[in-house]
Amino acid sequence: MSESEVLETHLQELRRGTVVLACLRLLEQPGYGYGLLEQLGERGFATDTNTLYPLLRRLEKQGYLTSEWNTDEARPRKFYRTSAAGSRLAAALIDDFHAIAAAIDALPEEH
Amino acid sequence: MHATPVTLTDRYVDAAMRTVPDDQRADLSAELRASIDDQVEARVEQGEPRPDAERAVLIELGDPDKLAAQYTDRPLWLVGPRYYLTWWRLTKLLWAIVPVCAAFGVALGQTLSGAEFGEIVGSVVSVVLSVIVHIGFWTTLVFFIVERSTHSADIGLVSRWTPDDLPEPRERGTGLSDLVASLVFLAIAAGAILWDHFVGFVYTPETGWMSFLAPSLWPWWIGGLFAVMVLEALLAISVYAKGRWDIGSATVNLFLNLTVAGGTLWLLSQQQLVNPEFFDAVIPSDSAGTVTTVVTTGFAFGVVAIAAWDSIDSFLKAARARR
Repeated sequence: MSESEVLETHLQELRRGTVVLACLRLLEQPGYGYGLLEQLGERGFATDTNTLYPLLRRLEKQGYLTSEWNTDEARPRKFYRTSAAGSRLAAALIDDFHAIAAAIDALPEEH
Repeated sequence: MHATPVTLTDRYVDAAMRTVPDDQRADLSAELRASIDDQVEARVEQGEPRPDAERAVLIELGDPDKLAAQYTDRPLWLVGPRYYLTWWRLTKLLWAIVPVCAAFGVALGQTLSGAEFGEIVGSVVSVVLSVIVHIGFWTTLVFFIVERSTHSADIGLVSRWTPDDLPEPRERGTGLSDLVASLVFLAIAAGAILWDHFVGFVYTPETGWMSFLAPSLWPWWIGGLFAVMVLEALLAISVYAKGRWDIGSATVNLFLNLTVAGGTLWLLSQQQLVNPEFFDAVIPSDSAGTVTTVVTTGFAFGVVAIAAWDSIDSFLKAARARR
């Protein structure tokens, strides 16, 4: 594995949980898969379809998202929305994220 | 009316849905199709020809079976990390025990039924190979099923690890208790041989007490056996004194075992080991031939098994002591 691939793997691991957090916050307004994917990309949470769609289904199964089919438009789309439990999860994750950020700031710096 | 041509997307969605459970299929298939259409549309808007865009989107999604597995949280491995250690420990344990027992049983059975030497070796090899393969296959199959049927629920197959599970320090076989055990065993064996000669182990109403070993073994064969037993006692003492087995003492042990086992087998094959009157006295004459074969063969296998185990054990202890 080259150095850039190793770096890529570490960055992915560091970012993994933040996509969940971003989804839960963005879906306070109902959204569908592809639209959410674009929003995430614009806001700096780049992710791919193979990660996002399974993630949405898992969060729905765990009760953090609810879903509804919208058939008003030409193309029927499944709209997801953050549930009350999802909002609480997002709040807990954000608290923890701030705590981690503070802990990282408190680490000894390089010389 | 025109039949709609089957597109790559149709084929992709069909392929992905093959492995999805029925109750999720309609929902998942509609969502996947909408998602592909959205992505194709986005590429077409940027000026890409539709067929190229479709192909590119599908390539990005990758193998449909893998995608479906990700969607439905299905494991893409045979035995996952949760059960791997239990699976591996059980497989190793079975591999250590079962093939040896099977080889011993097959060899004994074949010998009793009067098979040729080559035939015995052939069937032992093929049975051992198939037992190894079967253990690997069936153990893995059971774990494969358990992994997929428990839906990540804890069914108690994997117990929580505690420090009590730590392995005991390995027996080095050089303690005082080992020395005493070897000497006591040798003394009992010598006593039993003497008792057998002077009193006898076998009792029948007609003949009274008689010996199991052939009286013609005295004095030379039995004398030789006593000499080997004295050497074994000396070996046990020297291992105790040195505090460990080494390659030298293990080799001496091997030669002593070979001497005893080889002598016993030779005498058995010459029908000189067991008192000839013994079989006449205890067995009705019509089945005497079969019983003699069974007793002789069983005795021979027992002797070989004990000698082999004792020799291997001493080499294992020597190897452990070197670390």
